[in-house]
Amino acid sequence: MVSILRIIKFALQDIARNISLSFMTVLILVLMLLSVNTLLIVRAMTRQAVVTVKDQIDVSVYFNHQVNEEQVQEVRSYVDSFPEVTDVEYYDRDAVLEEFRVTHKDNPEIIASLDELGENPLGPTMVIKTREPQDYQKIITALSIPEYASIIEAKTFADTEKAIEKIDTITRQLEQAVLVLSAFFVVIAFFVIFNTIRVAIYTQRREIAIKKLVGATNWFVRGPYLIQALIFTTISVAVIGVVLYGGLAFLDKYIDVIFSTQSFLTNYFSSNILAIAGAEFGGVLLLTLSTTGLAMRSYLRT
Amino acid sequence: MITLKEITKQYTRDSVGLKDVSMHVGAGEFVSIVGQSGSGKTTLIKLLIAEERPSKGHIEVGGWDISRIHFRDIPLLRRQIGVIFQDFKLLNKKTVHENVAFALQVAGAPYKRIRDVVPRVLDIVGLAHKSGRYPHQLSGGEQQRVAIARSLVHRPKILVADEPTGNLDAINSHEIIEILKKINDFGTTIVLVTHDKDIVNHLHKRVVTLHDGKIVVDKHQGKYQL
Repeated sequence: MVSILRIIKFALQDIARNISLSFMTVLILVLMLLSVNTLLIVRAMTRQAVVTVKDQIDVSVYFNHQVNEEQVQEVRSYVDSFPEVTDVEYYDRDAVLEEFRVTHKDNPEIIASLDELGENPLGPTMVIKTREPQDYQKIITALSIPEYASIIEAKTFADTEKAIEKIDTITRQLEQAVLVLSAFFVVIAFFVIFNTIRVAIYTQRREIAIKKLVGATNWFVRGPYLIQALIFTTISVAVIGVVLYGGLAFLDKYIDVIFSTQSFLTNYFSSNILAIAGAEFGGVLLLTLSTTGLAMRSYLRT
Repeated sequence: MITLKEITKQYTRDSVGLKDVSMHVGAGEFVSIVGQSGSGKTTLIKLLIAEERPSKGHIEVGGWDISRIHFRDIPLLRRQIGVIFQDFKLLNKKTVHENVAFALQVAGAPYKRIRDVVPRVLDIVGLAHKSGRYPHQLSGGEQQRVAIARSLVHRPKILVADEPTGNLDAINSHEIIEILKKINDFGTTIVLVTHDKDIVNHLHKRVVTLHDGKIVVDKHQGKYQL
């Protein structure tokens, strides 16, 4: 117990007496964490962008104007039965006509032609949304059965099919790119932290040798450095937390305008705070501890 | 106290530190080891503190065969042998008191013992009044005295001094040797490695001369001769 207290005391003493080296080590850790978190921000924004774009895509089913309510409800129940379908919005004939009038209010010729007809020529419309863009094809195929050929006039999916395919491709490639970039950053972070700690230990090799000469065991020599690694990790994760929340609040002003959200980034980090902070703390601690152990190994041999 | 039996230390095929060296140092003796650079003096010190292992032969320190000492026992050995070096080997970021106390702290000594022992050994070397200073605030002679104080905290039976006066002027060198003589008078065996002819001749103690890794002269009340 006395030895543990002494090791902690020496660790704190070393930090205070090598304050510039301690500061530089924490700074490097903070910068590396900042890079990793920037990547998390990019990833969150990419995902949100994809969600936003996907949200804009739907399939509109235009019914024949002679279709009756019973037939429409049958189609709706049929569509609802697919687990891929997340939302079905139904607009009856009157709603469709009203929408049509609003859309073309600046075109008097169309409005006049409509008035001349004297009756509503438009059929009801159903707007279907699915979980993934690739699910639309399945719904369209399901609706292209002979029983519905006479009541469904048109389906707009054909127009957006290519766009959906493209978004799908972009989404997949973007996620792959972000994954590769993340791995790349993790490797860089590993080497930077590894070398920072190695240099820090290298500058203290004489001290380590002296401690060994006066009879210190390897654990007594290594202990303060491991405690320092723990302290540096804790400080850097705390600092990055403060920096990140300040930065996110600033970024949210701009991000929310793009995605029509409220405090998107802050909410994203808040709702994942335990996972993110835990993973970063654990990762950095593991890295600093293992690097410290490895860097000290050669100085502890004699 | 110290017995070397046919010790050979070979670094590489062409580089030999010691060749077939045998000697015995009795309890309470004061032995000066002299020799030119590369004669094997430093190798001998390194073997005594288990910084190196012999390629052949046996070394006994206080009845303990340290030729094949287990790695985890090395700290225990070093707490029983006081060692001082030419470059003092003090921890620059620790004060005089902390440097001396450190040797006790690594051995898990209780706080009370540290509080008792450290001022006492600092008093022996005449540095009690400078216990709060850092090594860079002391002269070379004072730094060496701190190193001696540190080596004394475990009341070692053996004190190994590797060129302790190599970085000091004549007055400071004389003071350090006087302290070593005083420690020897209390019964501690001293092994002094030195280049200083005057010191060796003034001591009138046993002198072992090394040349090319071999003992060429071993005389009680000897003189410095290469």
